[in-house]
Amino acid sequence: MTLHPILAALRKHKSGVVLIALQIALTLAIVCNAVFIIAGRVERVNRPTGIEESNLLLVTQQYVGAPTGDDEASIDELDSRLRRDVAVLRQLPGVVDVTSVNSVPLLQSAWNGGVAIKPDAQFSFDSKDFSTFYFLDDHGLATLGAKLVAGRNFKPEEVMHKGFRTSIETPVVILTQALANQLYPDGKALGKVIYVGGSKAPSTIIGIVERMQSPGLGQWANSFAWNATLIPQRMDAAFTRYAVRTQPGQLESVMRAAAPALYKADPMRVLDDDGGVRSFAQIRAAAYQGDVGMAVLMGIISLILIAITAAGIVGLTSFWVGQRRKQIGVRRALGARKVDILRYFQTENFLIAGIGALFGIVLAVGLNLWLMQHMAMQRLPIALVLAGVALVLVLGQLAVWVPARRAADVPPVVATRSV
Amino acid sequence: MLKMTHLSKVYRTEVVETYALRDFNLDVTEGEFVAVTGPSGSGKTTFLTIAGLLETFTGGSYHLDGVDVSNLNDNARSKIRNEKIGFIFQAFNLIPDLNVFDNVEVPLRYRGMKASERKQRIMDALERVGLASRHKHYPAELSGGQQQRVAIARALAGSPRLLLADEPTGNLDTQMARGVLELMEEIHRDGATIVMVTHDPELAARAQRNVHVIDGQVIDLAEEPRFHALKAGGRE
Amino acid sequence: MFAYYVNLGLRSLKRNPALTALMVMTIAFGVAASMTTWSVFRAVSGDPIPWKSAQLFVPQVDNWGPKHTGKTGNPPEAMSWPDAMNLMRAHRAHYQSALYAISPAIVPTRAGQHPFYAGGHAVFGEFFPMVDVPFAYGGPWSASDDAQRARVAVISSKLNDKLFDGANSVGKTLNVDGTDYRVVGVMASWNPQPRFYDIVNSGGFNAQQEDLLLPFNTAIDLQMGNNGNTNCYESPKQPGFVGLMHSECVWISFQVELDDAAQVAAYTQFLDGYAREQQQAGRFSWAPNNRLRSLPEWLAYQHVVPDDTRTSLLVALGLLLVCLVNTAGLLLAKFLRRSAEIGVRRALGASKGEIVRQFLIEAGMVGVAGGVLGLLLTGLGVLGVGWVMPHEIAVLARIDTALLALTVLLSVLVAALAGLYPTLRAAAVQPAWQLKSN
Repeated sequence: MTLHPILAALRKHKSGVVLIALQIALTLAIVCNAVFIIAGRVERVNRPTGIEESNLLLVTQQYVGAPTGDDEASIDELDSRLRRDVAVLRQLPGVVDVTSVNSVPLLQSAWNGGVAIKPDAQFSFDSKDFSTFYFLDDHGLATLGAKLVAGRNFKPEEVMHKGFRTSIETPVVILTQALANQLYPDGKALGKVIYVGGSKAPSTIIGIVERMQSPGLGQWANSFAWNATLIPQRMDAAFTRYAVRTQPGQLESVMRAAAPALYKADPMRVLDDDGGVRSFAQIRAAAYQGDVGMAVLMGIISLILIAITAAGIVGLTSFWVGQRRKQIGVRRALGARKVDILRYFQTENFLIAGIGALFGIVLAVGLNLWLMQHMAMQRLPIALVLAGVALVLVLGQLAVWVPARRAADVPPVVATRSV
Repeated sequence: MLKMTHLSKVYRTEVVETYALRDFNLDVTEGEFVAVTGPSGSGKTTFLTIAGLLETFTGGSYHLDGVDVSNLNDNARSKIRNEKIGFIFQAFNLIPDLNVFDNVEVPLRYRGMKASERKQRIMDALERVGLASRHKHYPAELSGGQQQRVAIARALAGSPRLLLADEPTGNLDTQMARGVLELMEEIHRDGATIVMVTHDPELAARAQRNVHVIDGQVIDLAEEPRFHALKAGGRE
Repeated sequence: MFAYYVNLGLRSLKRNPALTALMVMTIAFGVAASMTTWSVFRAVSGDPIPWKSAQLFVPQVDNWGPKHTGKTGNPPEAMSWPDAMNLMRAHRAHYQSALYAISPAIVPTRAGQHPFYAGGHAVFGEFFPMVDVPFAYGGPWSASDDAQRARVAVISSKLNDKLFDGANSVGKTLNVDGTDYRVVGVMASWNPQPRFYDIVNSGGFNAQQEDLLLPFNTAIDLQMGNNGNTNCYESPKQPGFVGLMHSECVWISFQVELDDAAQVAAYTQFLDGYAREQQQAGRFSWAPNNRLRSLPEWLAYQHVVPDDTRTSLLVALGLLLVCLVNTAGLLLAKFLRRSAEIGVRRALGASKGEIVRQFLIEAGMVGVAGGVLGLLLTGLGVLGVGWVMPHEIAVLARIDTALLALTVLLSVLVAALAGLYPTLRAAAVQPAWQLKSN
């Protein structure tokens, strides 16, 4: 089959061809970028936090009328309350382990700061040696389910306590693998020292955990998402958090029992109905609600786009088939087989979709560049664009099938009838 | 009523110029029934489209009802078509989506007539072609002859001064053709000017005057029959 | 004639119901997606205080210097306590207030009720007239209350309902974190979004109500914790709350009202002078690096409109554009298929204008139908926006007459635009064509 008659026909229907090609180009451009956004969000949401997320819950509470925690006596007072709360939680049936903790991954509330291998390092927000600080006790690793890959856990006697606004000072730390490798690229961080949060005193790295995501999810926090420094300290303040690991299947019952037990120990506290006791699944859902939503929205829009474009191709091709019935009849009368007619329309669609796709590649890249310039967006991978091209070509062929079949079914006798 | 003087129509493409009409002269007086005949390709249809203001011409002049129409804009031409000219097409050209009544109504709609007057005129016109009882039918439900009668009713409804017919019986069998022709003669008797294009000599014979067109020029058969034969032989 | 064309349009649209349904749905989906995302965009990009935003300014003082601010050299987005206090003391603006986010516990007087959080801010008394806080009962506290660190409070009507059953509670006592405060004012419903006076800590949008406003000095005196970000380039030299107060850590928002250009210029000059003073005193070792942004500039600088919201709107508008092109293609096919009818109408005396009117009305009818379906889908979209947008943003999207009117208008506009080219093509059909082809 030669292209000549098809090209001649396309020239005759110039505006229709332009409209379909334009539609295919726009669809390709938008769907490529939308799918890229979806892929980015899915990847982001699926990042493992490095902790064991099931059977884990977090209690957030605040003592009312508590001492400020600025002097030794009030710090001790707060610390005793904190240890009592931990003991209360530990005694709940179904609880495996408990640790006091300042934050957990994805919580979006963090203490971040600089870490350095030398004292007196200066930090600005451009520095890359940032880390989040997790303050937890010797039960921290077990409760959160972080995996130790080198060294050892904190010993009970290493766990200290400090006031909320006292600066960090710790003889020992555990780092995430990512941070350890960043500070000591030779991979021999264990046993070496670092200076945490501008502290003048060195902290020895006694252990390395495989992975532990930072609580923050913003652009800045994301730049050091895998840098975490674990510090064996109870943070004494009116505001405290406890991570609780439960036995499988006991999460719900522990969540129900936690607040009443804590109120019983001390009613002068706030345990918010919404955020006081949350499972890690709830924390994760809240953290990624926007990302999941964005992916869903982009998915819906892409589906609508594809459906509309496919329907548009069906509609316009049907019109062309109707318009060319006589011509088709003549061709059939002159010996064209059904398959030839089918091919004709398929080839025609392939040409139009091809032109649209070429233009669409340009549009897709252009839109991507614009998004990169004006919004936080990565460069569109070329493989995705090519997949998009394949998609619109296949979509075009699928859409043209119905009207093309109808064209092939035009009987040769039509040629002899007047319109 | 209709006066064409040295009228020409040229179709130009990049390579050739084709004269569809050249030095075309015709004068139809009010109340005349003229048949325009000629072989296919002679230019008689071009003449009719120009006469009906459906197309513009290239040179010469054309006065319709005393008005020089050569420099009128599209809107003015539409208005003249609407008010002064009635068309009867070979293929009837009824709008399939509209029933008989609505089809006849089309030209009246563009005249901004009151609904009551429209209705009166439509029913009168349909009465005249004998189809008043079918005004709710759709074209597809009518025979060819009936469809052409509707088309004639549509042409008559606006009481045009000039009726242009293009092979009005071309798509009809003899029986139906006769009926349509009788109708046209009746309309002529009532005072309308009719110009009918046909290649059927029998049909042409029913007209008051025959004008023969060959190669885009008018040959009055009554005056120069031989010349016609010669020319025809020489050119075709 | 209009009725005639509507009638003709109806017939034409009824003849091919599948195609008509496709066009109507195309327009409805495109418009609904656009209007739904726009309803969110409108909510987050709106001016929270349109009558006054041009007079409200956010000063920034660089107390960190080039070593700590990084490549951009932008001064910190919040203020240290010393700078905030110095600016308050200088009192160079019409109104000014330092403020910081608090979330203390309210202890109910009724037995058996647990304490609960009350989110709010510690502000100066000038804050209330500056941002036009509406009052149901009472009013702001006085300048002397500020100076004397009085234990007074302004509460939201919601908190008033909860604690005092909605009665006029002015003069009543409120237990906050174990300390008694006297209620001086109850706000009428007030929940500006974005939370323009404390963008740094709210990120712009906050589902939490502004329940409690306490005097800034009182909160500082009681060492009430900051419920927002505290950014430091080094640990405070002294421990505790006092250490934080006297550190270069930034944690205080600041807002001023400047009524005209002269005042703005004077305040800019004042800030420069202040920074130079600090330089001379040896606290800053760098040239003055201040900013004074008007509220709209500040909201733009802080990227208050989330990228996702803007991207969603953009992609939805892209969808609408595809819908427009799609409808144009289908209308073109539909109209040109009726070339015969157009030729006859033209021959019978229809002017081009009449043909244009007939077909534009038909396209417009598709638009109206698309608009009606679009209304329904937009309604569903706005109700369902909580599924795809963060909670604090989704709650801001609402259906109102402007949204509904715009939905129908946009549908008709899209249909008319889509119908424009096909209509012009239809009007270009020659009256002679029909005669010749036969």
